[in-house]
Amino acid sequence: MKNQELIDYLESCGVCRVCQLRYLKARGSEYRDMQKTFQRLDVQVAAEETADNEIPAKKSRLDICTTCLGLFSKDFQQQLIDGILRSDYAKYDSPGIVLAFNLPMVLQLRQLSMWFALQSKFGASVDSNFAPDVPIKEAVKLILHPIVCTQLGKEYDANGLMINIELRHSTEADDVAQLVQLNKAAFPAQAKHQKRIEISRGLLEKQYQPSRLKAELFKKFLPIPPSPVNDSLELQSIQLCGPLVCVAGRYRKLSRELSHTPWVLNGKRIMEDSIEEIIIRNVGSHFSETPEKITFMSSGREDVDVRCLGKGRPFVLEIPNARCGSLTRTQALAMEQAVDATGTVSIHNLQLVPREELTHIKTGEEQKRKYYRALCVLEQPATLEILQKLQISESFDIQQKTPIRVLHRRPLHTRPRTIFGVKARVQRENPRLLVIDVVSQAGTYIKELVHGEFGRTAPSLSSIIGQPMDILALDVVGIDLDWPSDVNNAAAVE
Amino acid sequence: MATIDTQTFLTTADPLEPYYFQHEEQKICGEFVKPITDNYDENYPSVVDRFFTRYYYIKAGAAYQLLYHSNRICLVCLAPSHPAYAEGIESVTFDVGNVDRSQNVVKGKAKKGGMILQADTTLALLKTSAGNTYKIPSCIRGKLVEVNTALIEDPKLLERAAEGAGYFGILLPKIDNCDSIKASLLSQEQYEERIKNDKSEDKPAT
Repeated sequence: MKNQELIDYLESCGVCRVCQLRYLKARGSEYRDMQKTFQRLDVQVAAEETADNEIPAKKSRLDICTTCLGLFSKDFQQQLIDGILRSDYAKYDSPGIVLAFNLPMVLQLRQLSMWFALQSKFGASVDSNFAPDVPIKEAVKLILHPIVCTQLGKEYDANGLMINIELRHSTEADDVAQLVQLNKAAFPAQAKHQKRIEISRGLLEKQYQPSRLKAELFKKFLPIPPSPVNDSLELQSIQLCGPLVCVAGRYRKLSRELSHTPWVLNGKRIMEDSIEEIIIRNVGSHFSETPEKITFMSSGREDVDVRCLGKGRPFVLEIPNARCGSLTRTQALAMEQAVDATGTVSIHNLQLVPREELTHIKTGEEQKRKYYRALCVLEQPATLEILQKLQISESFDIQQKTPIRVLHRRPLHTRPRTIFGVKARVQRENPRLLVIDVVSQAGTYIKELVHGEFGRTAPSLSSIIGQPMDILALDVVGIDLDWPSDVNNAAAVE
Repeated sequence: MATIDTQTFLTTADPLEPYYFQHEEQKICGEFVKPITDNYDENYPSVVDRFFTRYYYIKAGAAYQLLYHSNRICLVCLAPSHPAYAEGIESVTFDVGNVDRSQNVVKGKAKKGGMILQADTTLALLKTSAGNTYKIPSCIRGKLVEVNTALIEDPKLLERAAEGAGYFGILLPKIDNCDSIKASLLSQEQYEERIKNDKSEDKPAT
């Protein structure tokens, strides 16, 4: 089969120039100057009529390509760009875009029909397993993507703003009905199992090849080669999905009456607000119009009645469908100040982070060290002996059973935990009061470590001194994770 | 960090001097963070008082205490008036004859595999120095989550343990049964009343 014969035949079937090149297996840049590519491949084609010469008469039906249904026409490109510009596209500031086409199945059927046609015309030189053309999905990437990107002045970025384009064609319903009939005739065994969705794109791609389906059977239901059409593809809808933006920082918590995430019991709120909601409320709206879709994550969490002081706890917001992908120091500072104004939660080091860095928060949770300060009370005033027993610089292991306070909703386990150090101080005015600093492995229940919980945590600080000790208050004073990096938004703004 | 004031140290020779707490200042949200010692509360309730309600169950004239957590987890203990205290604790076993309750294993959040116990099912056997054996009842209908195996090794723990630490077992009743279970038990008030009556009944006999 010579290239010239192939092109002449395709031309006679009403295939457009772009699709002709597809059947010549043209790659990337070869679609840009099509005349040159044809020349290089030694194919003669009539010069393209330029629109300037004459106002084109009413389109004849042959003007619509029988294989791409106008997908690669100049008209369609313009329609597509107009459609994108008419959408909420301008609300997104993403410098990168990616197009995702939802193509009607008729395109695949037409490709198969042309495949059969070429086989009957040119015989065995057309393979039965490997398609004779560059698939439309690939061609879209090679042809439409660069054009749309250039026209919109954007870069291609798989993680950028996703433009979902759904296309329809007037013949889709009829042709798919035929396909369903064809499927029953061609693959009766499988067809029995396909109850709900009778036929899928994946199935079409996998099963429908000349090697698995006879042209004669196909012909009973659908024409070979593909017949001319009256309408080109229609833009059904354009939907936009902004990129995923991640914002990290550290939070501190001053209140002993504030939960980490919304606390709801039997459909009723126990606490009005939560750290998660305060942060999302003050940070989310800058990036997203759907703050309810934002995910809040942190490196562990503290109980409602525990403060988080020191440098604070690393957190990150995962913001899907973000409109805005930038954050200036001034904006970050304004958010930090807005959160600080609550008087209960404070955030700092607020910054955009690449998605890959989220692993810092998610992995190695058990290895992290946590620093706590506990206010404890003895039954009798502290003695020198007790204080000395509570200065521990060597690390030691404890066995901790799942605390009773969470045992109703968590499995019973005995977990080994390492305590890296203990340092106790006594209150001068009230020597029954101890302030105990504990460095422990993440996941240690500190309240239970202090009083021992009826012997269920052993050893406990209480068992170490050999007398009862209770815990009045607890603060987290440090979390051993140097992420995200320190950024002083206030200093940068000054 | 506690600093040692040599002058004071020499004159008063307070051995605790190196250990006195000193608050470090930190500003968050534009305010100085309050020292943790501000959270001292003279009337701070005990762990049991903070999270549990005390209920009582009487079997064979002996009283048992049930510590009912607000999340419905229950600890089975001896009531303070239990005669075993006076008789002296000798031994504790969870091998109650047909089954050894210390072999109880639970899996997962739902505590699958835990033995299902009725209120008067024997949870453990307690022998006293006086030679009496008490069948410790489960006190409620529920699933056995855990037994306190430390009591097997060290039964005298019962005599010196703080309230709750001498628990025999931890049970998880069904949510739907909680109201009827609580109604079937004696409250703290009813228990105290009962003790008082028992004592006054004892008097004429002696």
